[in-house]
Amino acid sequence: MGKNKAILFPSEDWFRGLVSLMGEQEATYRELGATDCTMVVKVTGGASQGTGEDEGEKFFEVVFEDYGADKVRELASIEEASASHFVLEASLETWREMIDNIRDNGSPDLEHTLNYLTFPDDPMLVTGPDQLEVDTFYRYNESLQRFFNAAAEFPTSYA
Amino acid sequence: MYNAVVNEGLDRMSEMARGNFDLDWMDSNPAGWGHEVKPGKTGLTLCDVETGHYDQVPEHGSSHGSLAPRGCMVPDDTPSLDMYTLNEMSEVWSDNARHLYDEACNRQWNSTTDVPWHKLEKLPDDIEKSVCQMCTGFVEVEFVAGDMPAKWMCHINHDFHEVKLFLATQIMDEARHMDVFRKRALANGGGLLMASPASEELLAAILQANDYTTASSLMHIFGEGFILTLFRTGEFLAPTEVEKTIFRLCMQDEARHVAYGVKHLKYFLERHPEREGEIHSILDAGEQAIFRLTLEPQTIEPRAILAGGGIENIELGMARIGFLYSKQIREYLHRLKVAGLERESRMVIPAELSVETLLERAGVA
Repeated sequence: MGKNKAILFPSEDWFRGLVSLMGEQEATYRELGATDCTMVVKVTGGASQGTGEDEGEKFFEVVFEDYGADKVRELASIEEASASHFVLEASLETWREMIDNIRDNGSPDLEHTLNYLTFPDDPMLVTGPDQLEVDTFYRYNESLQRFFNAAAEFPTSYA
Repeated sequence: MYNAVVNEGLDRMSEMARGNFDLDWMDSNPAGWGHEVKPGKTGLTLCDVETGHYDQVPEHGSSHGSLAPRGCMVPDDTPSLDMYTLNEMSEVWSDNARHLYDEACNRQWNSTTDVPWHKLEKLPDDIEKSVCQMCTGFVEVEFVAGDMPAKWMCHINHDFHEVKLFLATQIMDEARHMDVFRKRALANGGGLLMASPASEELLAAILQANDYTTASSLMHIFGEGFILTLFRTGEFLAPTEVEKTIFRLCMQDEARHVAYGVKHLKYFLERHPEREGEIHSILDAGEQAIFRLTLEPQTIEPRAILAGGGIENIELGMARIGFLYSKQIREYLHRLKVAGLERESRMVIPAELSVETLLERAGVA
């Protein structure tokens, strides 16, 4: 991956970029421990060419297993997601602010961690088929945070 | 000169010295011999090895009552420990216990080197006091989740070793939590502040519960579920990266404990629906205790100060975290729903607690 070439968010390529960095940093993830969950990222309010159920909505599924993530795919709707999953939902503007903050600081500041953004259910929301699925977001939170922190490693452009 | 036991041992050794060995043990367990396993990417897990012959968990734990491992040949003269009172699988089992044990082993951390203590910074007095009060509360409540499993573990039939192993990891997790919050309280020029009488009421209810499943429902789902949300609050309000890291790491452990509790209650209620009333009764007691705890000044005020950014904005802080209570209740009810328990109509405390409602109740327009 060329580290100076901006990758469009949201896109499969952008998430694959993070997955690729996860592979390069396997030792870090080994230290944190294995991760076993499926995350769906929902982006709302983006450009209207979205393939999601509502205009402008996009869904991306990342399957974490052991010390990496082997599957990334864009979903046409949330119904296509694996049965077991949680959803991180936010507007493109919120995702952009979080990613830019990570890029600017090398990691998120105190007000841009995943937990900080999701805890009040606004501006980011975590949902799932049931509470135990939502709880997996808490169970692997540090690993998921590190996953997104890798966004500091390459420039991102936005739709 | 020696007693009968020692003489018997000496006789056996004499036979061995003459080349007469028993070797019966070598062919004692043909059904369990030749077992094959394949390590996964994370190494050789309990899930990897507990297959075939070794995956047969009995509904009723073995009557020999010893520590003999499940799946081995147990000689007839093996003495019973006479300690096991939890001999039914349904009393302790959870379908995710094995997996959670593996995960707990794999995701261990330590408070000595995994927290960036060097990033601690001098904080304004009201903020440091609020952080230290929160930590005092966590130091007080965390180890109940170590004491409770410790109380029951030696009564769990050894055939359910997955549950015992998982509970052992939980005890270690709670030791780490108690340790890390104590360290944080003492590490930055502050110290421990005020204990919580209301916490003790809840902790006593957990420790004095009549049976394991009611204790587990109260602790794993109710207590740890509420604490999980408080850990999330802690991360949200953290004034430095140090507290952020502590709360994120603790949150992960707590979510594992909750996952065990939910799946255990589900397993139990599917087999003993007639016991639902007992679970509701202990939750009645727990809800009242946590309600008192939630509104205790030493619990709520430090969070309000942190949420407001200082004591001068404590009221603003109260408004900012007004959603906390209803979030705790919502997640608690949803977890019980996964376990098969409809609790919403049975709750003995309010589902929401907004500042507006409280002002209205106080007659303030």
